[in-house]
Amino acid sequence: MEQVGLAATSDVTLWSLFMQAGLVVKLVMLGLIGASVWTWAIVVDKSLNYGRVRRQLDNFEQVFWSGQSLEELYRTLSDRNTTGMGAIFVSAMREWKKSFERGARAPIGLQMRIDRAMDVTLARESETLEARLGSLATIGSAAPFIGLFGTVVGIMTSFQAIAGSKSTNLAVVAPGIAEALLATAIGLLAAIPAVIAYNKFTADAGKLTARMEAFADEFSAILSRQIDEKLQPSRQAAQ
Amino acid sequence: MKGSLATSAVLHALVLTWALVSLGSPAEFEVADVEALPVDIVPIESITQIQQGDKKAPAKEKASPVPTKKPNPVENAENVGDNDIDLKSPPKPDAKPLQNESAAAPEKTEKAPPSPDPVKEEIQKVGEPTPASEPATEVAALPEPKQEVEPDPKPEPAPAEETPAENPAAEALPEKVPTPMAKPKVEKPAQTAKTPERKKEEAKKEQKKASSQKESDFNADEIAALLNKQESSGGGAKRSTEEAALGGKKTTSGEKLSQSEIDALRGQIQNNWSIIPGMADATDVRITVRMKLDPNGELIGEPEVEATGGSDAARRALMGGARRAILKSAPFQGLPADKYDTWSEVVVNFDPSSML
Repeated sequence: MEQVGLAATSDVTLWSLFMQAGLVVKLVMLGLIGASVWTWAIVVDKSLNYGRVRRQLDNFEQVFWSGQSLEELYRTLSDRNTTGMGAIFVSAMREWKKSFERGARAPIGLQMRIDRAMDVTLARESETLEARLGSLATIGSAAPFIGLFGTVVGIMTSFQAIAGSKSTNLAVVAPGIAEALLATAIGLLAAIPAVIAYNKFTADAGKLTARMEAFADEFSAILSRQIDEKLQPSRQAAQ
Repeated sequence: MKGSLATSAVLHALVLTWALVSLGSPAEFEVADVEALPVDIVPIESITQIQQGDKKAPAKEKASPVPTKKPNPVENAENVGDNDIDLKSPPKPDAKPLQNESAAAPEKTEKAPPSPDPVKEEIQKVGEPTPASEPATEVAALPEPKQEVEPDPKPEPAPAEETPAENPAAEALPEKVPTPMAKPKVEKPAQTAKTPERKKEEAKKEQKKASSQKESDFNADEIAALLNKQESSGGGAKRSTEEAALGGKKTTSGEKLSQSEIDALRGQIQNNWSIIPGMADATDVRITVRMKLDPNGELIGEPEVEATGGSDAARRALMGGARRAILKSAPFQGLPADKYDTWSEVVVNFDPSSML
């Protein structure tokens, strides 16, 4: 930790409490601080990521519904490494292109293939959105217990020390218990933001995924109409 | 993700630094020094059940006031003391019993002998009861500086020789002449030096004699005795013969039934109690009877009989027997009427095994 140098003068400061603690309690505290760091790293990462994804969706929808031809759009997007709706659009268009290059005959099979491709991309996108939310959930539920474990161990050792010192004076008992309770405090400090962030990010990811699903359905409908229009003349010509 | 992790780590570092600096050590509790108050648990009996006695004397089995000296008891006197009239004021052991007859005029004033009082005062002040050294100290207290140089040899032989001679005269003197109200001043050295030295007991005897003789002397003295405010500290007229023991100023219904009175009550019940001999388990049963009595010794309501120990059957049989015995012996005799407060509700314990 960075605060190693900040030793306080009095005997009951946070730092002295930490330094007085036993090895197990110290490890628990350090682990919990690490968990807290990880939690906040995820929080920062996710909030930036979700904001970016939301902006991309807005931009893409704007471009998509602006009347630009799908071919042009595909040409511009296929070169880039796209995410979100762009990725779904690109995957659907790629499948469309491939099918028509070889000369598609069954419109239903083409439709199914395009839908399948879009589903796969959607699943991949939502998976990236929800990545690491599981560790938030784990920290939120496990950190209090870990802190409690540290407290129990700390109180045990301090009671053993009290038994050794043969004095039940509160001044003897208090520092050990305060030091042990610090572990629970750190556990709660890590767990509470983790639980709140987990709930918030799960809801956000659900909303974004729903938005992408809606786009995928709409695009599927558009492509289905296109397929009908393209295959109808060829079938008539065949007859 | 790396950027986020770094951001998070920096944030934690900042927060922890702030916590270590500003949450350094909490302010210590200000602990006020509270001294433990010693608490005496005073039973209510010490207020409700006070026996007449002396407040400063050591506690004994029976409370008793300071013994009085006069033998003749005054009828129905409540307050203890040597007085002839039953006064409520507590008896004050008078170090110098003043016999100040303010109204009585002295009959003969030719001699005007000095009263023993100032002398006694001087004795108490100086704190030397031996008669030999007293005149010396008194002389030393005189304002005359010349005698102070060699006071000892001159006055010592004179009073020592005079004491036996003057004592009878001094005893006889108060008969005729009551002591003056105003204390003679110490400034008269000749009189104080010549006054006979006595011990306290002698002085008291004299005063007693003087007071007893005074009563038969003159009509005006009786009036003076009535008017005399000094007498009011003499206490009541009840006499006490036993040694002083701890107790209150007055008896406040704190009497208990004496053991013999309780035994008498128990005996009345036992006489009417036919216990079946040879009853199984009867020896373990203890009977407790609680009953209310009216001043005539008659039962008020049902007596409460409780039994403990022994078998159920024995308990029931003995409880029934006890109830019948109480009802049979109902007007209880021999209970002191003046102690009705104590036996208006009475609890009697029986051990049936002792009655078999």
